[in-house]
Amino acid sequence: MPIITISRGSHSMGKAVAEKVAAKLRYYVLSRDLMLKASDKFHVSQQTLLQALHDAPGLKDRYKNTKQIYIAYVRATLLEMVAEDNVVYHGLAGHLLLKGLDHVLKIRIIANLESRVMQKMREEGISQHDARAVILKDDDQRKKWTRKIYNVDPTDNTLYDMVICIDKLSVDDAVEFICGAANTKSFHSTDASLRKTQDLSLACNVKAALVAEFPEVGITCEYGNLLLYATEKTAHNGKFKKLLTSLQQDTPGIFNLEVRSGVPAPLDAV
Amino acid sequence: MGQLTPDMIMVLVMIGLAIFLFIVEWVRVDVVAILMMVALPLLHLVTPKEAFVGLSSNAVVSIIAVIIIGAGLDKTGMINKLVKPVLAVAGNSTSRIIVAISFTVAIISSFMQNIGAAALFLPAIQRISKMQKIPLSRLLMPVGFSAILGGTITLVGCSPLILLNDLLLPFNLEPFGLFDVTPIGLALLVSGITCFVLLGRFILPQGECQGTEDNEAFCTIDGLEANEAEVNSHYELTTSEDFMDYRDPVRVEDLRRRYLVNVLALTEPPDFKTLSPSPETEIRAGVDLVVCGRQKDVERMALAEEMELKETIDCYSSEFDTSTSGTVEAVVSPRSPFAGLTLAEIRIQDRFRVTPLEIHRQEKTYRADIDSIALQTGDVIRFYGTWKRLKSLHREAGLLFSMPTDLEDMRPEKALWAGGWLVLSLVMIMGFDIQLSVALMTGALGMVITRVINIDEAYQAVDWRTIFLLAGLIPLGIATQKTGTAEWIAGSILSVIGDVSPIVLLTVIGILSTLFTLVISNVGATVLLVPLVVNMAIAANVDPRMAALVVGLATSNSFMLPTHQVNALYMGPGRYRTVDFIKAGSLISVVFLVVMIAMISLIYGI
Repeated sequence: MPIITISRGSHSMGKAVAEKVAAKLRYYVLSRDLMLKASDKFHVSQQTLLQALHDAPGLKDRYKNTKQIYIAYVRATLLEMVAEDNVVYHGLAGHLLLKGLDHVLKIRIIANLESRVMQKMREEGISQHDARAVILKDDDQRKKWTRKIYNVDPTDNTLYDMVICIDKLSVDDAVEFICGAANTKSFHSTDASLRKTQDLSLACNVKAALVAEFPEVGITCEYGNLLLYATEKTAHNGKFKKLLTSLQQDTPGIFNLEVRSGVPAPLDAV
Repeated sequence: MGQLTPDMIMVLVMIGLAIFLFIVEWVRVDVVAILMMVALPLLHLVTPKEAFVGLSSNAVVSIIAVIIIGAGLDKTGMINKLVKPVLAVAGNSTSRIIVAISFTVAIISSFMQNIGAAALFLPAIQRISKMQKIPLSRLLMPVGFSAILGGTITLVGCSPLILLNDLLLPFNLEPFGLFDVTPIGLALLVSGITCFVLLGRFILPQGECQGTEDNEAFCTIDGLEANEAEVNSHYELTTSEDFMDYRDPVRVEDLRRRYLVNVLALTEPPDFKTLSPSPETEIRAGVDLVVCGRQKDVERMALAEEMELKETIDCYSSEFDTSTSGTVEAVVSPRSPFAGLTLAEIRIQDRFRVTPLEIHRQEKTYRADIDSIALQTGDVIRFYGTWKRLKSLHREAGLLFSMPTDLEDMRPEKALWAGGWLVLSLVMIMGFDIQLSVALMTGALGMVITRVINIDEAYQAVDWRTIFLLAGLIPLGIATQKTGTAEWIAGSILSVIGDVSPIVLLTVIGILSTLFTLVISNVGATVLLVPLVVNMAIAANVDPRMAALVVGLATSNSFMLPTHQVNALYMGPGRYRTVDFIKAGSLISVVFLVVMIAMISLIYGI
């Protein structure tokens, strides 16, 4: 069965939709647990990881690659958590973090601005002006983040399989549509798509292990055979070689690991 | 010292541009030379006639003739025939084998291009390594260095020396004879080989030899593929009767991608045995197949795809007999049309019906997705195929193979003719004082007329890159001399280093030439430095011919980096790293400089 990602703006009812879809399909709901697990695994605070996935990269991030590092940690954790499929993920950037997998149903939930402002006012007891400002700022950060990290516009509908506006359509209508789509054959997992998930997970884990010191290394994986695309300098770096040896010995599922230097990494490399 | 004129500034800019382009390699070195050939007359720094005089120069014609003579000797298979007697003399001692092969390569290299001699001997050395179980890494570097050193034994041994007399012409200096450099070249060769014999264990990587299941011993550097489980072997398997049920079609390519296992033979319905099946071939139920791969990968595949792994090669025993098919290691030669292309772009399996197994580059072995690797000079590709198909690949691909000799397209019956024309050329040069280019072209023509090599093969053999590199840089030398730039640079350098003894000056020139040749081509270094050092020597009252000779010889002192074509060629097969060249090459380079200066002062009494 598929993995469902629900991308949403703040106060667009996306969380409610995700929880109802999961309940109806008996899927596992994944959101904040991801940050908790990533935080435990990579010893980085949840707040730092959340910021990495929410705020657009600043100058310091670009210089120190901090964003890239934290995103690699979150992606590696997410891939591990969705490996079993039957998951509804309604956290940040799910459709982008799981890019490359075949059995992912990518949903975007939107709502008109006025109803979002009202919702915010109700929830937090703030003025209409303040609520509008907070929501617009939040939307702006999301746009900048996806543009800078993935070079795409989050409002581009072609990134999703279905975009639902909660306005005339209710949350329950949206749940019906999503469950219907999840049951179509196109989104069912197959041996090949599950294999692909395992490979992507392996590639992301290796990326997470290398990213702090060698952020430019691109990684692809097919059937447990890893190809690492590095610069000549990195490929000959003693520490890099040592890291690879220990990864190969300690990471189950790696059957072969080769380094390609002097050639650009393919587009699907993580 | 004269004043710096606008023309001199222009020449300095052009020299700077040429050196810059040689180093960054944004365009190929021969294109840089052609750029100079065109730009200099446009800037009125040389006349149009002077710009193209290089194409008809004695040096360029001599090099064309030397290349054709070398190709003729190669066609007769004389080189392979030398291996047996050389080994008989050398016996089983590694040191004696190194000495014997190195001397043989050096002598051949003294009459043909270094890279040609090195390339010709590579398959023979691979065979010797297998036969004598000596790691290839311990043989190749001494032999490669000897091929370079052999270029200093005669005046036709390497491009810089061939070029030397042409560069001396504007100064009205007496040209060098064919064997004038021989004592120095021999001393350099002996000292180089002695270093390897005495210190080889310290400066060469210590490899080890292994045997595969098909008794093909091969050697590797320490630690690399030392584990037996890492060695590729052949296995026969049978697919289950329900292999095609409940699964997507499995193709030959799928097995390679998933398990890094290459299918060498496959039974196709109804009962056709196909060797080296195409990647798209579908694997059917209940058929036999032979694969090549690491044991752990083959076992993983057998388990995952529910195949039965047989204990021995059973159904395909006759097809896998060594007289029918086999595995070869092919080295991408500097002139291979495949250099720069990927195996997918070459469509190697469709065109030649052979199976590429893996690619070795320096110390790395690539097994995964090898179709997408852009081939480089010196890369070693392991192929499996029938000898017939491998022979066709050998003929067309410009790859250097270690093939059984009886399969190579040789003309051994022409060996006497080839040897005769070479001797005639030498007699013409030495006995009748006929100009080098005329004598050598006579030998080349003789080889064509007596069908040692046909005229098309002769044209194909000529390395036009070298020809244009040489011809294109000659006008730069003319401009440097004509505008007084060489004199000005020489004066500036002398004013910095002050009044020095001839030996010190020649040593400085030797070091300068060595450094230049490491970063730009040896021909480029010679063309730029000879006018300069001749002027320096005249100003410092040192024999200018000796200064030019130091440049001609020291531009062969290119051992420290794998930038020399011979080093680049041997790097892959020997599984050398750059650090291996730095280690051994530094010592040989220092010894080279010391021996060269000592021999010049001994013979010419400077």
